[in-house]
Amino acid sequence: MGKGFVTLLGLAGLLAAVAPAWAHHAFAAEFDAQKPVKLKGTVAKVEFINPHSWIHIDVKDTDGKVTRWMVEGGSPNALFRRGVTKDALPQGTEISVDGYQAKDGSNRANGRDITFADGRKLFVGGSNPDEQPGK
Amino acid sequence: MRHVAIVLGAVILAGTLAGQSVGQNKTYTPPRTPDGQPDLQGVWTNVTITPLERPANLAGKEFFTPAEARQFEKDTVDRNNADRRDGGAQADLSRAYNDAWYDRGTKVVETLRTSLVIDPPDGRIPRVAAQGAAAGPGGFGRPPEGPEDRSLPERCILWPTAGPPMMPSFYNNNYQIVQSPGYVTILVEMIHDARIIPIDSRPHVDSKVRQWMGDSRGHWDGNTLVVETTNFNDKTRFQRSGANMHLVERFTRTAPDTVTYEFTVTDPSAFARPWTAQIPMKRTDGPIIEYACNEGNYAMEGMLAGARADEKKAAAKK
Repeated sequence: MGKGFVTLLGLAGLLAAVAPAWAHHAFAAEFDAQKPVKLKGTVAKVEFINPHSWIHIDVKDTDGKVTRWMVEGGSPNALFRRGVTKDALPQGTEISVDGYQAKDGSNRANGRDITFADGRKLFVGGSNPDEQPGK
Repeated sequence: MRHVAIVLGAVILAGTLAGQSVGQNKTYTPPRTPDGQPDLQGVWTNVTITPLERPANLAGKEFFTPAEARQFEKDTVDRNNADRRDGGAQADLSRAYNDAWYDRGTKVVETLRTSLVIDPPDGRIPRVAAQGAAAGPGGFGRPPEGPEDRSLPERCILWPTAGPPMMPSFYNNNYQIVQSPGYVTILVEMIHDARIIPIDSRPHVDSKVRQWMGDSRGHWDGNTLVVETTNFNDKTRFQRSGANMHLVERFTRTAPDTVTYEFTVTDPSAFARPWTAQIPMKRTDGPIIEYACNEGNYAMEGMLAGARADEKKAAAKK
């Protein structure tokens, strides 16, 4: 077990060199880099929880069939400290998610890049969507 | 020009303090708690982009000039920006999510040191020969069959930088210090541990008793709180040190908004000599936010499901 911990730290060092960001856990263990997904949907539920937040969205396909997806974000603590709350993402908000699907094929993805439908970035600025830069 | 003189002065001052304890050389007199202890209480952050060890390209350079510091900050913030999408799918996935979730800081430490390690003077950890570690899924040489096969932070047990000793990470670098007669308590936001440090002169627990965060004892050296920690277990690793680690931390209030934190690590099985790092802790807004890690750790299920999916894929190929 201790050896594994060393490896994780080693991995963190490696990622720091090639890809500086890493999350609470290895996203590569959970999601498949070979399965990029682009989703457009409406917010059904927001879980601002630790270690990582989850945004649940309803995605409608061309036949009108709705599928619920879970999208993984980061720890909400830094957002809270900046005044961002769940009010930033009310139910029904249309968002776009660019990420990678879960390895087991379930309807989960990481929120690699989440934007509002009009392209504005989420959680930048205060909690009121009307105060987002660019609006 | 005056600015330059001040910075130059700070650099010279910092230079003369290299390898020594800052606390005994500063003239700032901290306020006192009602029972007369130097007052370290408050919510503090140790966020900084100064690296723990001096990067190879800065070898021989102990301090940045102010202009170099600004350039280093800009380069580091650009490199850290998780919104970038270059580097291929694996790198993209490893960046996890948008930059807004992160809080890595944007500044180097005020001393303009190029590393948090202040001793040895080369700013590098004096490691003895590296121990081999087998790489593999989850780092354990086999796919994880249960949560116990994943790492300590992924299991919400310990965060590698949450300490002791306490170092900055990519978010939640916040600490609350509370003092009461006979005790100092440090609440750590990352994975929400509270370390309760007795400051009477009681001995450490028996050497057979081994704990995740070791066994801490404190005493005052003038205005500096000195905390000695031993009795770590063999499941944690701090820079390749584990159960043998002997840690001495020094907390000195050096300004109204600053606790200067230094730690010295001794472990002959991992390091050729003791080494010391210095990290300023700056006053920040509270409160500490609860990091209820197990409750929301859906990703554990996701990682184990991922391992099963990998196995199926491998079996189908046979």
